[in-house]
Formats: sequence, C-alpha cells, structure tokens
Amino acid sequence: MRQIRLHDIAHGRSGDKGDTSNVCVYARRPEDYELIRRLVTVERVKAHFGDMVRGDIVRYEVPSLGGFNFVMHHALGGGATHSLRLDTLGKSMGSAFMRMVLEVEDD
Amino acid sequence: MTHVHIGGGQGFWGDSDDAAVHMVHREDLDYLACDYLAELTLSIMQRQRMKNPAAGYARDFIGLMAQIAAEAKRKGTRVLSDAGGMNITGCVDALAATAGRLGLHGYCIGYVLGDDVLAALPGMQADGIDLANLDDGRDFGDIADKVVNANVYYGHEPIVTCLEQGADVVVTGRATDSALFLAPLVHSFGWAPDDWDNLARGIMAGHLLECGGQGAGGNFDYDWRAVPDMANLGFPIAELTESSFHITKARDCGGLISVQSVKEQFLYEVHDPAAYITPDVTVDISQATLTQAGDNRVEVGGIKGKPRPDRLKLNIGYHAGYRVVTYLSFAWPDAYEKAQAAAEILLQKLAKKGLKYRDCLISYVGLNALHLGVADMSPERLRDQNEVILRLALLTDEKAEAEKIIPEIAPLQLNGPPGASFFGGRAKAQEVIGLWPTLIPRGAVQLTPHLQKVD
Repeated sequence: MRQIRLHDIAHGRSGDKGDTSNVCVYARRPEDYELIRRLVTVERVKAHFGDMVRGDIVRYEVPSLGGFNFVMHHALGGGATHSLRLDTLGKSMGSAFMRMVLEVEDD
Repeated sequence: MTHVHIGGGQGFWGDSDDAAVHMVHREDLDYLACDYLAELTLSIMQRQRMKNPAAGYARDFIGLMAQIAAEAKRKGTRVLSDAGGMNITGCVDALAATAGRLGLHGYCIGYVLGDDVLAALPGMQADGIDLANLDDGRDFGDIADKVVNANVYYGHEPIVTCLEQGADVVVTGRATDSALFLAPLVHSFGWAPDDWDNLARGIMAGHLLECGGQGAGGNFDYDWRAVPDMANLGFPIAELTESSFHITKARDCGGLISVQSVKEQFLYEVHDPAAYITPDVTVDISQATLTQAGDNRVEVGGIKGKPRPDRLKLNIGYHAGYRVVTYLSFAWPDAYEKAQAAAEILLQKLAKKGLKYRDCLISYVGLNALHLGVADMSPERLRDQNEVILRLALLTDEKAEAEKIIPEIAPLQLNGPPGASFFGGRAKAQEVIGLWPTLIPRGAVQLTPHLQKVD
C-alpha cells in the first residue's frame, strides 16, 4: 500500500450557500471514479474535517460526469459575515478537501 | 432554426469589465447577461442606500454600459443585469443618463420592481406566513427587530415581459442569477411555462455563465497552469438551439473551455444534483453529459426538468453583531511561537478586564488561516519560519464591546514578544450581517415589469 493525496487523482471546486459548503470532486481518470467512491465516504470526510464541519455531510453521486457532490452543513463558521474565518466563503474548502490522504494499492 | 448566443459578462460585483467589453465587440451576441449579486450583496447595498439615498446599486454596471451600450444597440445585443440591487430606479436613472450622453435616442430600459419585500413582512406574518428559518427552523421573532433587508428570489417571467415590450436592456434586483439567462432564451424560443426540460437547459446555461471567468478556466483546479493567457481571460458564451446546447467563448481571448473546466462550474453551489431548485424549474443534472465538441467548445446534454416549487425563497439580512479582525506580523527567530504568545497575552488582558466577546478565532496567515484544522501544523512545518502573521478575529454583540477591545491590540507591538508589527492597519468594528433564508407563497409577492425610454 502507498499513500496519495486525493488531489493526485481528483479535482474540484467549492461553493457556499449560507453556512453550507459544497465541494464537487471529479476523478481525473475515469478508472479512479470507483476508487473515490469506495474511499471518500461521508464518514471519511467527517473525520478529515473534524471541528471545521459541524453539521451533516451528504454525498451525491454523478457517474455520468465521473464525480461527486459533497454538501457539508454548518461548515463555514456561521457563513457570510458571521464567520470569523479569513475565508468566509469557503473558497479554499475545495483544496482543504483535496488534501485528504488515501491508502491505495501499489501500482 | 433559431440559434441564440448569450454571453456571461460579470461574475460578481467588482469583477472585471474586460471580457464583457471584448465579447460584445468581437462577437455578434444576441444577449449579454451580467450578474452582480451574491448572497450578502443586497444587505451591503441596503446599508449604502441608508447612508446615501442615491446609492444602493452596482454602479460598475453603468461604467460597463458606457463602454458597450452603443455597440450592443448597433448589433442588436440586448443586455440583462441584476445591477439594480436595492435601488433599481436609481440604477435605471443613471443608465438613462449614460444612454442620453451616448446619443442613444429611443433607448429602451426595462426594469422589474417588487423583490424588496421589507415593508411587507408584517403583513405576511398577519396572513399566517411564519418566516421560520429554512435551515434550522428558528422562529422569526429571534431577529424581527434586527432586519436589514428582505428580498425574494424570483424567476424569468417579468424579465420576459420587458423583452417582449422591446427593452434594449433589463435591470432587476434579486432575480435569480440564472433567470437573467433563462428569460432571453424563453423569449427567443417561446418555451411554455411548463416545458420543464427546456427551462432546465436554460437554467443550466445561466448556471454555467453566471460566474463569469470561473466558467472559462478561471479558478481551475484541474490544471490551472494549462489555461492560456489568463491576463486576457474570456468569459463563457452559451449557444443554444431547440436541440443543442454548447458552451464556448469569444475569439481572440484567453481562457479555456474544456470538459474539466465546465465540470468544475457544473456542480458549483448545487446541492442535490437531481433536484437543483430554482423558482423557474427543478433541474435534474444527475444524468448530465459533457462532451468536447471542438476547440474551446463543450456540448452539454442529458439535462432534465421537473415542476417548479410552489414557494419562493426569501433571504432576510439581519444585524448580528460586530466583528474585529486584526493582524500582527512576527519574523524569525521563533516567529510562530511569538505570534502564539501574543494571542495568549491579548486574551489574558481581555479576561482580566472583563471585556466580552461571543466568539474568537485565532489563526496564522501562511500556516492555517485557510485550511484551519486540516492544515499541516506538524512541528517540522512550524520550525524556523521566516515570518508568521497572527490573525485574531472576535465577534461581539455590541459595538461598544468591540471598541473596548480594539485599543488592547496595538500595545502588543511594544509590550509583547519582539518584532510585532501591525499588518493592514488598526482594526475597526465591522457590522456583522446574518442571512435568514425562508420560504413564502408565490402569491405573497407582486413583481411588476416597467419600461423607460430615453428621449
């Protein structure tokens, strides 16, 4: 087994609605879609973000685009100007997501 | 076959005009739509308008129109924008004055009033509309005396009416971003109000264009280095017929339209892909397809629509306290330890003096201010930093509390660890505005289209 970052096999973007952050995650190669589906579970994402995301996380699968949409509630420290974070709109939530370390089979 | 070209000219209030100016001059667009409103923008505009009754709309739009209105009129490119914000008639008057200066006699400005329902809130409650918070069910009574603005998100119909009446430009307040794009498509193709699949295609055209450059290679995670000529980034253009839907961009500009660049915008700020709710249609993109159809050209397929919701979303901005944000910089040696110590000293001072705050966030710019708990803060990473910027952010209920905290920060430059320096100037007490989303019946809102001609 070896360790990779999700960003090695995926790309995406984060957006905000109030205190909810969504991150879309697409496989860079079609063959990695199943790997992401298996490893990047809601539980895994919850563990990754810890305190940063305080509400429910929902994962939607969009196989026709080779990707997923993760919707994370109470994820932006209150949202809009309520948030004390530097990145109040969570523009960097996508890259924070992509830091996730995954254990994969050796090639 | 009818073939409609529509350009996305702005991604937000404060965006560059360059791509819009380029595409209007370089291409023969049927429509250009410019989105200026994010979730919080209307609350900010309402505050501006309270200080100055002539303000409260996106003045940038007037500057853009000064550059493109004559060329757009000559080519028959009709313009739509939500730049009216909280002062739609103020925006229309400024636009009319600009058109007059450009000699555009007979120029026809359409506009839609009625999304600002602040004055109608008590009546709605009297009619039994509870205005409960859509996210957490909280009672509206919690914020009833703190409301800043209340604007309802509405769809394409009143904008279409303006186009039918011959508007060269249509100015709105809180129409949805995507309605600005759907309206001209409905006008051109004559889609029925329950032609859900076509309405959904139109919404997705808007969705892919409403963020400007972000739909054409800006903010591109897949491979940002591969985006050509970002200094001349083009914004996306949608081309629709009754049976096809392509995303492309203007000739002779930078940017990238690829399957990956369109994908990243596709699910941006969408929640359930099978039920993306808009006032016009419930969009289903769970089976959507994207296909490279040429150089900087992507075909969009597989979009379905379902009936629209019965209720409209109302976003209420409310006063939620004050925020103090301050930065102090520290240099090698022990930059991180010094920054940490300074934060500790300040919090001790505030505790000793009994200064109150509701919440506090300490972070270190360059280390964890963006990725917070996910950032690598291992000892190896923190050792021997060249420099570290401490960021302290506090939330207070009252302005007076914030103003008592601020004078405690500056002394740290001489009374704390060595080398501290203010970064970005002295902190200010900034008003915090919270957002309160709720749902109201369609019948509670009266949206009215209007027309004004320039002599």
